[in-house]
Amino acid sequence: MNSKEKKSTAYLRGLVTLIVLAALTAGEFWVSSVTNGSLVFLSIIALIKAAIILQYFMHISHLWSEETHS
Amino acid sequence: MTSATAPVATHSVHNRLLFNRLGLWLFFVSEVFMFGGLLVMRFHLWGNTRPDLDQQLGLIVTSILLVSSFFMNRAEVAAKHDDRNNFLVSLALTGILGLLFLVGVIGFEWRGHVRPMDGYYGSVLYTMTGLHALHVLSGILFILVIWINGRKGRYSSQNYWGVEACAIYWHFVDVVWVFFYPALYLIGTLK
Repeated sequence: MNSKEKKSTAYLRGLVTLIVLAALTAGEFWVSSVTNGSLVFLSIIALIKAAIILQYFMHISHLWSEETHS
Repeated sequence: MTSATAPVATHSVHNRLLFNRLGLWLFFVSEVFMFGGLLVMRFHLWGNTRPDLDQQLGLIVTSILLVSSFFMNRAEVAAKHDDRNNFLVSLALTGILGLLFLVGVIGFEWRGHVRPMDGYYGSVLYTMTGLHALHVLSGILFILVIWINGRKGRYSSQNYWGVEACAIYWHFVDVVWVFFYPALYLIGTLK
């Protein structure tokens, strides 16, 4: 994969991440209205959203990797 | 000289990057204790209730912060691939969206009917949103510094740690709001 393709893939991954996060946010808004603010369901959705941000935006898995700025 | 020292130099650069990243994440650990403490305070004082906040405003400011994270990720990818124009535009959009978030929280939510003196509902709401807004503000200042440095051409695909640190910090602020938004606006029944 050349640099241009890598860049396009990375941009696309960011867009997909945003769409998933937006869907989950809409989902938690809906869950709040139908479950009368359920702590369990809303906490699970928040944890999933945080995990997605940590993995795809904050690159937590790169913390111990050998990857350098190249 | 180069053949003997090059691997050592590469190793040193890699170690520095690793330590930079570790240092930033250790800072986040300390922040998690502080924001976690605020969440504990919210559930201890409010229990399974919540004040009557503007639901639409909460959803709008949350969406603004999510979109800002998308543009910050875009700025980081652009810096990694020497796409300077896209980097500067995406970073500027991130900062503008951060400002809009602050306007939404401070300019509108803080002018709502819940006041700081309204017992523990007011205290918790203003402490949590205030401390988070302070972090958003510091993130915007961080973005401004990185944007100015970026305009001067100080980052490249070989050296963009400043951009990476700024991006991770901004996403951390977003993660905090991921927990604060349901805790303040969604969880529990109206008081």
